[in-house]
Amino acid sequence: MDRSRFVIDSVEAEQMAKQSGRTLLQLLPSLVKSAQAMARPPISKFHVGAVGLGSSGRIFFGVNLEFPGLPLNQSVHAEQFLITNLFLNGEPRLKYISVSAAPCGHCRQFLQEIRGAPDVKILIASDDDDEKENKTNINCNDKDREFTPLSNFLPNRFGPDDLLPKDAPLLLEPHRNGLSFCSDSRNSNTDDGEDNLKYAALDAANMSYAPYSGCPSGVALVDVEGKIYKGSYMESAAYNPSVQPVQAAIVAYMARGGGGYERIVGAVLVEKAEGVIKQEDAARLILQCISPKCEFKAFQCEKA
Amino acid sequence: MDRPRFVIDSAEAEQMAKQSGQTVLQLLPSLVKSAQILARPPISKYHVGAVGMGSSGRIFLGVNLEFPGLPLNQTVHAEQFLITNLSLNAEPRLKYLAVSAAPCGHCRQFLQELRGAPDVKLLISSSEDEKENKLNNCCNDKDQEFTPLSHFLSHRFGPDDLLEKDAPLLLESHRNGLSFRSNLCNDKIDGGDDLKHAALEAANMSHAPYSGCPSGVALLDVEGKIYKGSYMESAAYNPSLPPAQAALVAYVASCGGGGYERIVGAVLVEKEDAVIKQEHTSRLLLQCISPKCEFKVFHCTKN
Repeated sequence: MDRSRFVIDSVEAEQMAKQSGRTLLQLLPSLVKSAQAMARPPISKFHVGAVGLGSSGRIFFGVNLEFPGLPLNQSVHAEQFLITNLFLNGEPRLKYISVSAAPCGHCRQFLQEIRGAPDVKILIASDDDDEKENKTNINCNDKDREFTPLSNFLPNRFGPDDLLPKDAPLLLEPHRNGLSFCSDSRNSNTDDGEDNLKYAALDAANMSYAPYSGCPSGVALVDVEGKIYKGSYMESAAYNPSVQPVQAAIVAYMARGGGGYERIVGAVLVEKAEGVIKQEDAARLILQCISPKCEFKAFQCEKA
Repeated sequence: MDRPRFVIDSAEAEQMAKQSGQTVLQLLPSLVKSAQILARPPISKYHVGAVGMGSSGRIFLGVNLEFPGLPLNQTVHAEQFLITNLSLNAEPRLKYLAVSAAPCGHCRQFLQELRGAPDVKLLISSSEDEKENKLNNCCNDKDQEFTPLSHFLSHRFGPDDLLEKDAPLLLESHRNGLSFRSNLCNDKIDGGDDLKHAALEAANMSHAPYSGCPSGVALLDVEGKIYKGSYMESAAYNPSLPPAQAALVAYVASCGGGGYERIVGAVLVEKEDAVIKQEHTSRLLLQCISPKCEFKVFHCTKN
């Protein structure tokens, strides 16, 4: 795999499985190492890979991202990357995940936002049989060879159903927030390129999952080649594990082969004018840190 | 109880239990509601209370804190408040914890930083009426007993995945050996040297074995009282508690219910060439909750 790939379509996934004499499910843990290789953890050097199978039969990758110069709560976990990747690709449902290490509590919590979370099947992969025998880590036991429901990893969960009405759409489920630019943001002086970026960010804000704060938001990034990458804010019932819109856009950047962060030259954030929470200042900080030359603008929107 | 209290000493705890015909363990869930009242969640209005008992026999309270105008990852959870409260009061070990709602995964992860975390006994309490009316699948016999934390976060990812066997854990004593460089001593701030040195002290007690970047914040209120908070890291990174939040816990736990606008000065101390930096997000938080607060940063080095 020369070019970093973060999605494998269902036909190719079947083919890969067949060629290596495995079932599709057995293929997942075998791909974890190649996922790990794509991680960007310059602080810990602890590479985490997550490989997920969606209901469409497509395989998705997730890796962890760390940002020197920022507090640790700006990190993106591999499982969060994975979910963001499903979101970008319109995948409605996650069925199986294989990960290189036990998901931490933060991720087990974030995963609760998806429909049927307790039934998502998880496998903590280890390299090969030799490692399994040598491992003294308590994580190594028979359970590791089988997919186990997420409900085992987070029993007595705190989740969306503690806070939302029964029929509320969950993460990965379609919804439109009905946002459009406030009049001053609409008329600001921007050229076509900037307009594209602005509207991409608005689109991302419209797809954003923010039922707890009621403050959806989106970020769009543009690289030196003019390619645009969008990320939507995705909230967690437990608040802190929420994925901020800049991070979601960086996942999009990486998942579509973006390269180094310094190639990001422009960014737009769109969020509500009088929201109870604000992303702008934190978004500016993050972008200044990872790509100092990136020009950042914030525009406000309102519900139509 | 006119003035909010966040610590009950062991003798009083025993007395309270006796007076209400309960064991001290039974007392814990009965205090959860009074903890919830002290919470400050203006965004969700969802009050969470946590009541913990330390190895000393003292009882500690924890409540959630939310900050409008900031992203949600700045929030402090009741369990994190509780642990910070133990830390402020030099309580070395948490043994039992009663909470008003199932701890979220973020908290179950943060709690892993404690020595003996898997054996911390947890009780999700609810009132008698609520138990009968609850359709939530949390309601079962288990809720009436304390259950080990290992049940709530099996196959944990924790400090032992990343640290040396003998590394000190959260609540255990740390001395980070940090001091100011001599040419910084002349920078003046309200509260003077005391505030600066309080923040340095907090940085010296900070648990930051993953980044190697301990830090501390000290806050000054209108009456000249100082409140210190140390940065507390999580092996899973994101659940780490920033130093400004830790100092706010100290403020809420000791200020007798006052508003954040009473905070007039703040100092952050962190390492100069740190791989992670608290400065900008600390400034954002303080500007948000107390716009008139004077905030300064001083850098320290390891001796």
